[in-house]
Amino acid sequence: MNVITCYKIVPDDQDIIVRDDRTLELGKAELEIGQYDLPAIEAGMQVVADAGGKVSALSVGPKLLENSKLKKAVLSRGPADLYLVVDDSLADADTHQTARTLAAAIQKIGNIDLVLCGEGSSDLYSQQVGAQLGELLGMANINAVSKITVEGDKLIVERTLEDEVEVLEVSLPAVISVTTDIVQPRIPSMKEVLSAGKKPVTQWSLADIGLADNPQTIETIDTLAPELAERKQIVIEGDSEDAVNELWENLRQELQ
Amino acid sequence: MSADKYEVIIIGGGPSGLAAAYKLAQAGVEVVLVERGDYCGSKNLSGGVFYTRVLDQLIPGFWEEAPVERYITNYVTTLMDKEDYFNLDYKGQALSKAPYNAFSVLRAKFDRWLAEKAEDAGVMLANGIKVEKVLKEGNKVTGIVAGDEEMLADVVIAADGINSFIAQEAGLRGPIKLEHLAVGAKALIELPRETIEERFRLTGNEGTAYAMLGEASHGVAGGAFLYTNLDSLSIGVVLRLDDLVKAGVKPAEVLDDLLEHPMVAPLVKDGKMVEYGAHLTAEGGLHMVPQQLVADGFIMVGDAAGFTINSGLVIRGMDLAVGSGIAAAEAIIEAKEKNDFSAASLNSYKRRLDESFVMKDLKTYAKAPIFMENDRLYKSYSKLANDIFGKVYNHDLTPKELLLKTALKALKENNLSIFDLARDGFKGVRAL
Repeated sequence: MNVITCYKIVPDDQDIIVRDDRTLELGKAELEIGQYDLPAIEAGMQVVADAGGKVSALSVGPKLLENSKLKKAVLSRGPADLYLVVDDSLADADTHQTARTLAAAIQKIGNIDLVLCGEGSSDLYSQQVGAQLGELLGMANINAVSKITVEGDKLIVERTLEDEVEVLEVSLPAVISVTTDIVQPRIPSMKEVLSAGKKPVTQWSLADIGLADNPQTIETIDTLAPELAERKQIVIEGDSEDAVNELWENLRQELQ
Repeated sequence: MSADKYEVIIIGGGPSGLAAAYKLAQAGVEVVLVERGDYCGSKNLSGGVFYTRVLDQLIPGFWEEAPVERYITNYVTTLMDKEDYFNLDYKGQALSKAPYNAFSVLRAKFDRWLAEKAEDAGVMLANGIKVEKVLKEGNKVTGIVAGDEEMLADVVIAADGINSFIAQEAGLRGPIKLEHLAVGAKALIELPRETIEERFRLTGNEGTAYAMLGEASHGVAGGAFLYTNLDSLSIGVVLRLDDLVKAGVKPAEVLDDLLEHPMVAPLVKDGKMVEYGAHLTAEGGLHMVPQQLVADGFIMVGDAAGFTINSGLVIRGMDLAVGSGIAAAEAIIEAKEKNDFSAASLNSYKRRLDESFVMKDLKTYAKAPIFMENDRLYKSYSKLANDIFGKVYNHDLTPKELLLKTALKALKENNLSIFDLARDGFKGVRAL
């Protein structure tokens, strides 16, 4: 089975500074693989461990994808090779641009049975790209999958809903977006880290995948942090009846 | 389990390990560098003043491309009393010309750059991996263990810093003596470039480094430092562990008081503290360098081998680290030609160090740590200097006395004898 796992390079959210005007300062933030994409990569490794085949990693974005540390980071997590589509116009790509670029790259790679995505990107978390990608590729297309089992030329997948688990049979090829609880991503070992540097990387431009014309359909006006809620900062100490009453009184007033 | 084998494995991606790796890879040696941090420099506390002439030998003209902050042209030595201070201010024009004498560096950026240079030269970098122990056959070091994986090498280089447990494990180093250890507490304070250049009287990328004694460390053995980066200041205290325990003060309090001292406060005013941390450092100089620096298949470099100098006026480590890394690489390249990686063969490392500035300077400053164990240096002399100058400049309408008499009086008030002063002065001149 030939599996593609898609991932996005994002700033480490712990190092993002919110300025006083609620805009974001990203300069100090390290770049990393999206936290929701790591389980998708690991799920791909499990699929080929069970059914045989090969996992390739794929990302599209600006020039920063070429960073050797980031390339090694994804390849040390198991994929046999890596495909990148690099163009600085993809720096602020909207979900449609991203899905279109991924689709064109996957068609160029060819002969793919399964495409895995995370449940959303860990920066913007639109949860759109997986669904649009399935549509563009004309493949079966399911999100929120928490378990994948290979059965012959089909997959049995589970979706954990509010109060039941949906079990679905999916024919291949398919595009599946997985949740973070599908599998714990690995911490690469020393040998995986060292061998990552020797794995093949194929890099394409937009023209290479026949997408010279890939306009942005959405214009981003602002990216702002949510307004901080004003806290009352009332602290009630002790476990006496008076304290409980005071707490209740405060809650009651707020709920009125 | 089968283990991969490489020619050289280096444990630790600081200046010593990276310098050795770069030099080895350039010579076509197959070298793997294993670093615990997610990237080289990530475990490092903000920065330091790097006396970089040796780096220019390894990477000529490195300052053109390396993320260095400012070349240091101004050196200030401060004798600090509770509220007063006495500065010795030196500015040398020669220090502002290439090849520069010293740069302030922020290590998170600098080490990362050096790691990229090493990688470009062919070094295989494994970040985020903690080496648990070395593999041995008898006394011979044969490789490393990380997680449940083993990796073999002709030579393992311990470049894992001051706490090098790899060196201890290889049996070459015992635990460090308490009096050779110090705690450093450090803050990084952001200020606009222009503000820094104005406050420190700098032109362009010139920089200042302060060494502060006396009240700067609350009289605890050690001292304080302050140096300028491009758009931030690094300020910190270094307190000898044994004396710190005796004095019962907390490093953070000493640093906080220093930031409020009348000399420091105007320099850091309106700055934004962006980093604050503490780190163990070594002060032992030659006294903590182990007898044996090599074993069969094993070499120690940089802080791991105890290569640090604190002369009171300058604290050095990074230059010795790079110097020792280069010497280790040269020794391994020679050993490879003979295909003999025994301790006897690798011991050309020791000879190379002896011939280089590394051992020469360590020997020159060998007496500094003993000299600096003297309490009077930290507790009395700063106050003495300030008392004398206070009396010289203060015209309170009492009749003036000649300088000598003023000085003798100040000595007496500080419970010092002229013999103490003469003895310490003589020792100081000899040790530094």
